[in-house]
This record gives sequence, structure tokens and C-alpha cells, in this order.
Amino acid sequence: MIALARLLVALFSRPATLAILLGVAFGYALLFLWLAGDIAGGGQGGLHLAFPAWERAFESRGVLRFEPVGLIELGPWVWTFSPLDTLIALGIGLLLGSNLAGLWLVRQAPVACTIRAPSVGGLAALPALLAGGACCAPLVVIWLGLPIAGSLAVLAPWLIPLSCLALLVGLARLAAHYGHRASRPSGGGR
Amino acid sequence: MSRGVLTLSLILLWSAVSFPAWAAAPPTIPDAEVSLAHSLAAYRQTVRSGGPGKDGIPAIDRPHLESVAEADTWLEPGDRVIGLYRDGEARAYPQRILVWHEIVNDVVAGEPLSVTYCPLTGSALGFRRGDSTFGVSGRLVNSNLVMYDRATDSEWPQLLGVAISGPLAGRGLNAERLIWTTWGAWKARHPETRVLSRDTGYVRNYRRDPYGGYNPVSGYYRRDSRPLFPVMARDDRLSPKAMVLAFRDAGSAAAIRLPALREAGVLTLTLDERPYVILHDPELDTGWVYRNPEGRTIDHASLTFGPEGVRGPGIDALEPISAFQVMWFAWVAFQPGSMLIGEGEAP
Repeated sequence: MIALARLLVALFSRPATLAILLGVAFGYALLFLWLAGDIAGGGQGGLHLAFPAWERAFESRGVLRFEPVGLIELGPWVWTFSPLDTLIALGIGLLLGSNLAGLWLVRQAPVACTIRAPSVGGLAALPALLAGGACCAPLVVIWLGLPIAGSLAVLAPWLIPLSCLALLVGLARLAAHYGHRASRPSGGGR
Repeated sequence: MSRGVLTLSLILLWSAVSFPAWAAAPPTIPDAEVSLAHSLAAYRQTVRSGGPGKDGIPAIDRPHLESVAEADTWLEPGDRVIGLYRDGEARAYPQRILVWHEIVNDVVAGEPLSVTYCPLTGSALGFRRGDSTFGVSGRLVNSNLVMYDRATDSEWPQLLGVAISGPLAGRGLNAERLIWTTWGAWKARHPETRVLSRDTGYVRNYRRDPYGGYNPVSGYYRRDSRPLFPVMARDDRLSPKAMVLAFRDAGSAAAIRLPALREAGVLTLTLDERPYVILHDPELDTGWVYRNPEGRTIDHASLTFGPEGVRGPGIDALEPISAFQVMWFAWVAFQPGSMLIGEGEAP
């Protein structure tokens, strides 16, 4: 836990790692919301906001999918805004950003440090991208016309938890590695 | 003695608890009049999760309606709508709304009806619902929407119109004819029609169809694109998503390609020695199906098509059959071996 806190402090205190973390987090969140169908085309230009359904904020429409409460139109885009979907997207995005920024940080270690950094990387965040979509299939599957929606539907409830778990494991391994490196004497060899 | 009193009390208690639900159950037709190509158990085994949970796709229970002028501000003439006409009242349910909700529990001309649409099978069917309402179970059979009625929780695949599980298993719903047509054609036929409004009580992007589009046809709806979910039976006589006009009657089933019907105007066919006639409605570009017990010859040129449907010499001797348009792969999954008229892949 201390190692994890130390890694997070390091990530948030360095401009370069903070930029990677936040950039990846927001980029992933937008990709997640797009593939989940929350962000899509159909906008008619300009900015229009309407939030007529706050009472539905906690209504579930699937496992870890919630009802939108408002519509945000920006240029050609329409965002059916669900606070909880957005929090989930940002949460996974922050985990992914921490993994990638942490990986970058430990790879900056002195060459003399011989322990290889664990490279869990962004693959762990991929399952969550298949969790949302149209009513009955992930959008990627619909766009590609893949006849695998039946199998994916069985897995759907587990995709987001699976991604979160894998990213947390990756972050813990990075923290352990970072802590180990920090505890070694500077320039230490074998 | 005391055991008998206890049993009687339990029966009375059970009746008191379950009677309100049964009283509100949707009106059904008896098991004997329902014929299925597969057993109920086979359908139940094929049910699979579609992803969303029960009511994860929310039915519209309090539909708001608007005028033609209001609908013209956001509907293009070529946009698909599902039309319903009953006793002088016309309704248009835009496909762009139903793709997000799949069921509208409405009352038309005093009759409680459920208008149902399954985007994965391209099918729109209407059912009488009595005092009950239908919801979306979140489950599929042969890619087709499985509805549930909120009075008894029985499950009904839309294309069957027959409950496959629950207290009403084996019983069939009373169908109400819906028309799959364009907004332009529907409002020309029914200038006073009311239209389902986007004010559904839910926030959705009604300008976008997550599966593709019908105006023009694209994405999942393309004729040659593949189904996403497994099916109980396959038949390669047509492309999977080719739209057919389909009907079943007393254990027999037939599908008609619209290009063949357009070209002929009038088609006749015989199923199990029963003659049928199918008439093309050139304005709505759909077909009207009738039993033709006297074997009447119908001259298409003598027919007129109006709000009430088809009129003309010989029509009164025909018995209407409910028909609907549906993607071929879904129809043959439910009705393997269905007769097909117009096998040529004309556009």
C-alpha cells in the first residue's frame, strides 16, 4: 500500500507523468464512451445542453451501465450524458493512465537497475471497451459484422470488472517495482 | 378435517394473491390454435442474454403524440415508420425512436395495444395487451426480441407471439396488423395521423441508429451482412437480411419477396390445400394477405387503397390474415421450410 502511494505521489508530482496519466485517462474515457454509444454523431452544430432526467441518474440499463440524464450537443457530436457511465469511464481511464505513466517512470530508471519493469500496459483496458454498445451487441462487433455477439453477451457483465482488476494488478506490480528500485542504493549494481 | 380447512385456506390465499395478476393478463388464444415449428422447450433452451438486463431497454409506457407538422421538423420522407390504423385512428411510430425502446404500450381507438419492434430481425408486430403491459426482457431467441408481460411475467418471443415460459406458456397473443413503410407514404395515406414524439421520458440520441440506417440502408441492415447471434435453423435461399413479407396460418408459413409482389400486383398461393391471395399496396409498398376460400380472382387494377386498407370487387369474400415484414434469416429460424415466393435476388 505504501509502495502504491509512493508511486502515485511520484506520478502526480512530475509534470511529464501527470501529462501522460491525464492525457491517457481522458483519451480512454472518450473512446470508452464512444464505443459504449454514449457519444455519437447526430449533432447539428453549436452547443446545446439539456438535462431533463436527473431522476434517472441511478437507474441501471445493464451491468455497470446507467441511464443518461441529459443531452450535450457539441458540433457534430451528441453525448447522452450519464454521470455514472462517465465516472466509470474516467475511473478505468485513470487506472490505465497510471499504468502507462508508471511504466514510463520505471523505464526511466538507471541502466544499472537490472530488474525489468512489468509491462502489463494497455491491453488490460481492452475488455472494458467491449462492455457497452447498442442494445444487444458491442458497437465494434456490429460495425465489423462479427457473429460473436452471443458469446460476448455472456461475458459482458465481467468485462469492466476484469479490466479494473487487471489494471489494479498491473499498478500494484509497478508500485512494487518502483518501491524496490527506490529502496536500492543509488547506482547500486548486483 | 383441520387439514382440509388448511388446504382450502391456502388455495383461497393463493387465489387472492394471484388473481389480480391473472385478471390483468393479456388476452390470448387457446393452445390448440397455436402451431410452432419447434417445441417450447427447444425455444427455451435457445434463449440467451442479449446484454442489457430486464427493462434495460425501456419500453415507452406513456407515449406522447405529436402532429404531422411537428414530426415533419425532424422526420425525412424516406425515414422508416411503423404505421397502425384502427377504427379511424392512425399512428406512426418512427423506427428511429423504436430502435431505442422496442415496445410502446399504447391505447388506440380505445384498444390497449403493444407496438413492438425488434431491430435485430427488422420486425414490427402489434399485439392486444388487455390491462397488462409488455416490457423488454433483455433476452433473445434467434436474435429476436423476447418480451415479457408484466401481469404474469411470461416470456414471449416477438416473432412467435406465443409464450415460451411462465404461466401462459403455449398460449398465443392476438396480433394487430402494423405497416412497415416510410414517413412520406404513411402521411400521404393518413394525413391526420398522430406521431410518437421524441418526448419519451428517456434521454436517447434519436438522430442516430446504433445498428446502421434504413435511409439509405446501411450497417447491420444491409442485405448481405451477417446475423450477430446464433439461430435455430439456417436457409440460404435468400441473403440473411433480405426483407420478406411473412405470414403463418394453421401450421403453414410463407414468405414473399416484395420485388416479386410489386411486379405481380396480385399473387396467389396454396398452403396445405388452402388458397391465399396477396395484394400489393403500391403506395405503402406492402402486402395485404387474405385467405381465399372461394378461390376468387382479384383484378389489381380494380382495387383502391385507402385508410381502411384494400377495397374493390371480391375483397369482401376474403378473410384477412395478419402479416409482417421481417429479415429472412429470422423468419426461417422460426419457420424452417417456409414457402418462399420470389427467390430471385432482385433488389
